[in-house]
Amino acid sequence: MIEINNLTYQYQVDAAKVLDNVSLSFKSGDWVSIIGHNGSGKSTLVKIMMGILEDYEGEILINGNKLTKENIANYREKFAIVFQNPDNQFVGATVEDDVAFGLENQGVAREEMVEKTEAALTAVNMLSYRRHAPARLSGGQKQRVAIAGALAMAPDVLILDEATSMLDPEGRKDILNILEDIHRERQTTLIYITHDLSEIEKSDYAVIMKDGEVLNRGSIEHIFSDTDTLIKSRLVLPYQMQISRALLKGEYVTHGELVEKL
Amino acid sequence: MLSNMLLGRYIPGNSFIHQMDPRAKIISVLFFMVIVFFANHWLGYLLLILFMLSVIKIAQINIFFLFNGLKLLFFILIFTFLLHIFFTRGGTTLFEWGFIQIDSEGVITGIYITIRLVMLLIITTILTLTTSPIELTDAIENLGAPLKKIKVPMHELAMMISISLRFIPTLMDETEKIIKAQSARGSTFMTGKLKSRVNALIPIFIPLFISAFKRAEEMAVAMEVRGYKGEEGRTSYRELKWGLKDTSAIVIIILFGVMLFLVRM
Ligand SMILES: Nc1ncnc2c1ncn2[C@@H]1O[C@H](COP(=O)(O)OP(=O)(O)O)[C@@H](O)[C@H]1O
Ligand SMILES: [Mg+2]
Repeated sequence: MIEINNLTYQYQVDAAKVLDNVSLSFKSGDWVSIIGHNGSGKSTLVKIMMGILEDYEGEILINGNKLTKENIANYREKFAIVFQNPDNQFVGATVEDDVAFGLENQGVAREEMVEKTEAALTAVNMLSYRRHAPARLSGGQKQRVAIAGALAMAPDVLILDEATSMLDPEGRKDILNILEDIHRERQTTLIYITHDLSEIEKSDYAVIMKDGEVLNRGSIEHIFSDTDTLIKSRLVLPYQMQISRALLKGEYVTHGELVEKL
Repeated sequence: MLSNMLLGRYIPGNSFIHQMDPRAKIISVLFFMVIVFFANHWLGYLLLILFMLSVIKIAQINIFFLFNGLKLLFFILIFTFLLHIFFTRGGTTLFEWGFIQIDSEGVITGIYITIRLVMLLIITTILTLTTSPIELTDAIENLGAPLKKIKVPMHELAMMISISLRFIPTLMDETEKIIKAQSARGSTFMTGKLKSRVNALIPIFIPLFISAFKRAEEMAVAMEVRGYKGEEGRTSYRELKWGLKDTSAIVIIILFGVMLFLVRM
């Protein structure tokens, strides 16, 4: 259980509030999507959760324990994050080196490290690329390696900060499928950050952010049924919703249901 | 032309030399660089050439490919050779025309010095051709470990080199993209006067720097969240394994050095 209470953050003292009194809570094991347009504060929120940004107002509780400067290092081992740009997070010289990077930092023994690295690469279908250099991989493959690097640490919470936004549709689908498997098999809590409403169908819970505030939260059905808030969020509605709004008076439908109704 | 350059390139393979421990390769190259200077007459140089040919053979490198890749550097060699021919005096005078005089000693020294340089060039090229940059960095970090005692940050240096090497292809792609974008806006650094060309480079370098800094910052955050806190308490995924081949290679080099020393006159 992660609870965020009255979180407020600004980068400079006299600058505008990037997060304004944000309160949220996620159940462990849920797939949570955080949706918002550029600059709505999504990355700032996760950077605070990861302890990269400090000096915020409010509190973050993990299973009831308050996150502090002293204990953040312990929690960080349980949180893993994949960022947007695949090129800027590839540390290793080869695929397997990169996946092992976090384990190396934890001082894991070599045999165990090899085992965990291979298992993580298998989970993202990249084992056969283990000796490849990053320059020879596609963006989607690099992100899969980044996910493997996160998985190797066996995190309780896996955060993806617009991890698919630089990928082609094929690459996005791959990543979403891999995440679905991970979520099902490992019960990892997923925090999936995106500005694309069409990517949240698989999540259990969704949060809509705008200008540092939470506009709406709840199940996918709830989010999509409140069309007015969606429009206020200035997000691009999924195409089937646009059609359904135009033809079926705003009912929320999935792609399949739309095909059926039409 | 640049793509033909072999200096600093790595070509994966499975030869004896490819499989050697990179530390053994670096030590061998250092020994060889000293041994080259033992040769002081034709027999020594002949042995050097034969030794080098066998190394090339064992490394399974095509010799024509090797020389083709070093072509650009041959200008330097020819220049050294000519320098010796014209300026080293001694022996019998072979040729004289106005102020130009060529002595036999000059020709011989010229040839010998050129052979030495070629040897040094080839051996370092073989090192980089058969060893991946990351193996080289690991080996340098490992061999440099004693320097840590005098506070030389070997781990950090190795980390820096390896991340820089990682970023080179990314930054190359980026440069190309920016050049294309700026060309599309009518930038003309490929033609025109030198001054206007230099000016046209500014709109390429500034975005390149800004993006490099942004990348560096994101990379630092990515490393931090993955628990990087420097060398302490860290284990290593890659392993350097010193084997029989490595000891044998070093013994062979030393024996060869002794032999060259014995044939000195
Ligand atoms: N390092 C920073 N310094 C100052 N302002 C920043 C910094 N990073 C982000 N911001 C600002 O904070 C706001 C929220 O940014 P961010 O959390 O990155 O949003 P999102 O991830 O939703 O696109 C934006 O207005 C952005 O300009
Ligand atoms: Mg962001």
